[in-house]
Amino acid sequence: MINLTTRYGAFFKVVIVSSILMTLIAACGGANPASAPSANSLCGLGNGEAATAAPIVVGAAVGASGGPADFSSASKGAAAYFNCVNANGGINGRPIQYIVEDDGWNPEQSGQVSAKLVNDDKVVALVGNTSFLDCAVNGQFYKDSNVVVIAGVGVPRECFESENISPTNQGPRLSSIGAAQYMNEKYGATKFVCMALNIPNFGNWSCDGMSEWGKDKGITVDQVIFDPATMDPTSLVLQAAAFEPDAIITTMPAPVATALLKAAEEQDLRAKYHWFGPTSLYDLAFPGAVGSYWEGYLDVQIELVNIDSAGSDNQNWLKVMDGYADAKDPRDSFSQAGFLAAKIFTDTMLKLDPAKIDRASVTDALKAVKGYKSDLLCSPWYFGPGTTHNANHAGLMVKLEAGGKWSVTKPCFEVEDPALAPILELEKSQGLTK
Amino acid sequence: MPNISPFIITGLAVGAVYALSGVGLVVLYRACGVLNFAYGAIGSIGALLAWQILEYWDVEILAWFIAIGASTLLSFVYGRYLAPRLAYRDSVVKAVATLGFALILLGIARWYWSDDPRHISFQMDTVGISILTVRITLTRIVAFGSAVVITIGIALFLNNARIGLSMRALANNRDLSALLGIPVPQVETRAWLMSGFLAGVTGLLLADLVRLDAIVLTFMVIPAMAAAVVGRLKSLVGTLVGGILIGLFEAIATPFQTISPYRSVIPFVVATMVILWLQRHKQVALAKGD
Amino acid sequence: MEMSVQTDKPIKDSMLVNIQHKVGKLGGILPPAILIVVAMTIIPAFSSSFWIKAFTSSAVFSLAALGVALLYGRLGLVSLGQVAQLGMGGWVVLRLGHGTNLPFVIVLLIGGIVAGLVGLVAGIPALRMRGLYLALITLMGAGGFQVIVNGTGFPDGGPGFLGRVESGTRSLLARPFFAQTDAAYFRFVIIVVTLGFLFVELHRRTRPGRAWALIRKSDASALSAGVNITLYKTWAFALAGFLSGIAGGLLAGSIGQLDGRAFPASDSIMLFAMTVVGGVYHWEGPIITGLLLRAFPSLLNSWNVDGNIAYIVFGAALLQALITAPAGLAGQLADASRRFFQNRTRPSANEAADSDHKKRNEQQ
Repeated sequence: MINLTTRYGAFFKVVIVSSILMTLIAACGGANPASAPSANSLCGLGNGEAATAAPIVVGAAVGASGGPADFSSASKGAAAYFNCVNANGGINGRPIQYIVEDDGWNPEQSGQVSAKLVNDDKVVALVGNTSFLDCAVNGQFYKDSNVVVIAGVGVPRECFESENISPTNQGPRLSSIGAAQYMNEKYGATKFVCMALNIPNFGNWSCDGMSEWGKDKGITVDQVIFDPATMDPTSLVLQAAAFEPDAIITTMPAPVATALLKAAEEQDLRAKYHWFGPTSLYDLAFPGAVGSYWEGYLDVQIELVNIDSAGSDNQNWLKVMDGYADAKDPRDSFSQAGFLAAKIFTDTMLKLDPAKIDRASVTDALKAVKGYKSDLLCSPWYFGPGTTHNANHAGLMVKLEAGGKWSVTKPCFEVEDPALAPILELEKSQGLTK
Repeated sequence: MPNISPFIITGLAVGAVYALSGVGLVVLYRACGVLNFAYGAIGSIGALLAWQILEYWDVEILAWFIAIGASTLLSFVYGRYLAPRLAYRDSVVKAVATLGFALILLGIARWYWSDDPRHISFQMDTVGISILTVRITLTRIVAFGSAVVITIGIALFLNNARIGLSMRALANNRDLSALLGIPVPQVETRAWLMSGFLAGVTGLLLADLVRLDAIVLTFMVIPAMAAAVVGRLKSLVGTLVGGILIGLFEAIATPFQTISPYRSVIPFVVATMVILWLQRHKQVALAKGD
Repeated sequence: MEMSVQTDKPIKDSMLVNIQHKVGKLGGILPPAILIVVAMTIIPAFSSSFWIKAFTSSAVFSLAALGVALLYGRLGLVSLGQVAQLGMGGWVVLRLGHGTNLPFVIVLLIGGIVAGLVGLVAGIPALRMRGLYLALITLMGAGGFQVIVNGTGFPDGGPGFLGRVESGTRSLLARPFFAQTDAAYFRFVIIVVTLGFLFVELHRRTRPGRAWALIRKSDASALSAGVNITLYKTWAFALAGFLSGIAGGLLAGSIGQLDGRAFPASDSIMLFAMTVVGGVYHWEGPIITGLLLRAFPSLLNSWNVDGNIAYIVFGAALLQALITAPAGLAGQLADASRRFFQNRTRPSANEAADSDHKKRNEQQ
């Protein structure tokens, strides 16, 4: 037996007592035992207390059904974050009540659900919106109602050119241009074909962006714009091939791109042209959907950091999704964007007096956000003054490799869209990224 | 003039798809007098079940079996229990009733298999040949071949086999056929079974060639009806030719930049022109039947 | 005591019957009047933003359903292309609304007239066609419109014929000055829809209505009565197109812009199907249709029920309507109210519709 009175015994006494003390501290301070990842540091106040005061109502309008893809993953990322916040002290004690509405890709429904969120539910802000219609149909309405939208994912042009809407993502135009920059740099591609959907202010806008970027560089961009309901992807692929380009981009949601790439696979075209795409193709399910044929032949530009990045915000995102979201919720770029939007909202709200959180104060606070850093982004985010908001304009490149994995091929680089000039000016003059 | 030869090949492939669906529609119309709006929906349930089977067990032959079996069963249920209750109504009411069935199936399909993107692929997809720089998979060739074989087979059946002739009599006049001793319920049921089988085959091929999506597959009936119209809802060979021609024209329009975004309008334009042409001599009012 | 009870009872009975008869006669005017009053006052006052928009859309589609019901109920003609005409009306209203300074009501009328003209042109081949072919040709028209409008989109303040804005902000259509708020616009829509219903009722009670009734019985009897079938069938198509066009314009004013993806051919089919379910022989039918198409899905949404359930319910309702109740839900309502107000001397609405169908089939 150990004799606790000897010198070594005293050493053991110290060890035993300090272990007991540490266990007590861990048990009281943390909600979980040491083996499970502690939720404390992930979100909000991180104090493990459920928030119970008067809820803060936040909304989101997403195009979940009725269109070429389900665009609710940003709201799911935001919802997971808000759930985590509510379990960890809320906004200084006040939980967030997050109401997500589906606009069904129908402008009637879009007007209806946004009116419900703003007028009936009286949300203080909208976080995580992702809709092809919402920005156009409701942009003016949001402005008139003095409510701000931190869009999870902005898609059409209106989402970037609306006074009260500021997305955390880049948008298909910037993502496409960024990808084209890489293809030009890495493979020397100078003749591009831009395949996109004929949805207004989405397809043409993105492809025209590529044209403008390439204009004084001797780069040509031909366009193949088509109806998402097309039943003949092979003809479209052949039409693209008829231009005899160096590289072909598929600027569209993942399901439509899958159909096109399948048609391209049927024609065995992976080596004949360089195939690339914007961030919409970047998710963990996409490699399985397009199959192993494309491994090593697909380059994608991503608007936020890669999903397996070791950055702390990114790791938190994964942990929050695992802890507070459904297992089936996608872990993709859009989910990251929604998580980020929710985080920006939460961090901004935590600075306000919890008793004075109403729409007007929230709108002012969110519009004033600048220099917001996160390892999910390449450069700090800001809401931005005026009617054009596009704080995120730098991204990374990834490539689809063997085993259906994505690997980073180029770290953060700026997208050189000529139309960004006024925004860059504004950033410099107002110090928005500091 | 852009090079249209690769588009001729894709056009034939797309046309086969239209023709297959159109033939399936006309077959049932000739046999039962019902223009079946649920044809695509029945096929889509079969295709979704096949996808489910492939997900769990990855046994292709089982997937085909279950899919075609399910489609046949659904068609049988409608034909045996619901269609007879509308037997004496006019053809439009009978068609609209199938629409009700289609909506039910569509709702079930979307509710159980949500909107997620899926695709289905068969072993046949990996085999292919090259014609005029365009690669055609075995699946497309099978679709084209099936359309031709099914058309000829059923045309012969309706003209020669006893049951086939009974079916035609039934479609013409139900009461007189019964008087002649034709076992009306049995013959009708067989026609619906046949149509369900075809719907299952069509649904699987279309899910592979076009898209595995309940809404897309269900409303494929609309361009399929364009093909059926070209066949005057009567001639199977006419439907086959019509479907292939429609697919051809639509694909050939692809390289012409100005009309390319609108090329999907071609099936409807062709069908409308055919209808107007066919009805040009009809007198007002006193003509009987369609 | 017994004597007085015996004399009291017959007097009471006859007084009751008298009142029932009078109310029955009023029964023609009372329900719609009550509905209009409720719509103008109670609904805007008590509806949330969500519901006032849902009811506005319901009213708009009631107008479109009125056109479909007119063609099918009064003439037995199936039109599977009315949503396309809604889109055409909406397109014209948007283009003129952005491009000119004409007042909203004028632009609305022009939209209706243009859609009506298209209906007129479509009506001409209808003369020679029966049931299924007519349904198919209208369906082909709807399919064609879907593809075209997908490509052209709807005007949003830009220049040129198509009126699209390529860069810069897209505009929303301005609502008329007297109908700026959602509630005021709803009342405006109710007034327009009521006028539409009255317009159709006017037709029904005058010569076109009588001609249509004869044509429905059979073309042969109409011909022998000296009715110009060409004229009246075409008139019906034009009227249905006019109503749908106005509905499209009202929709454009409600939302401010329309989307090229929102007018698929499948919606035209749904409109026809739901019109049959609502009922084509009574005025309540199109109103029920509008509510089914726009208020019911909103209800499911607010109950967090999967929207696909609506498809299943609609499909089942359509089958039930066609198999057992050809006069639709409105017919069943009419039966119920008839039982309440009058004697059982007249056949129920559904029985009447049934015998109608049987007669038509015998003649065909």
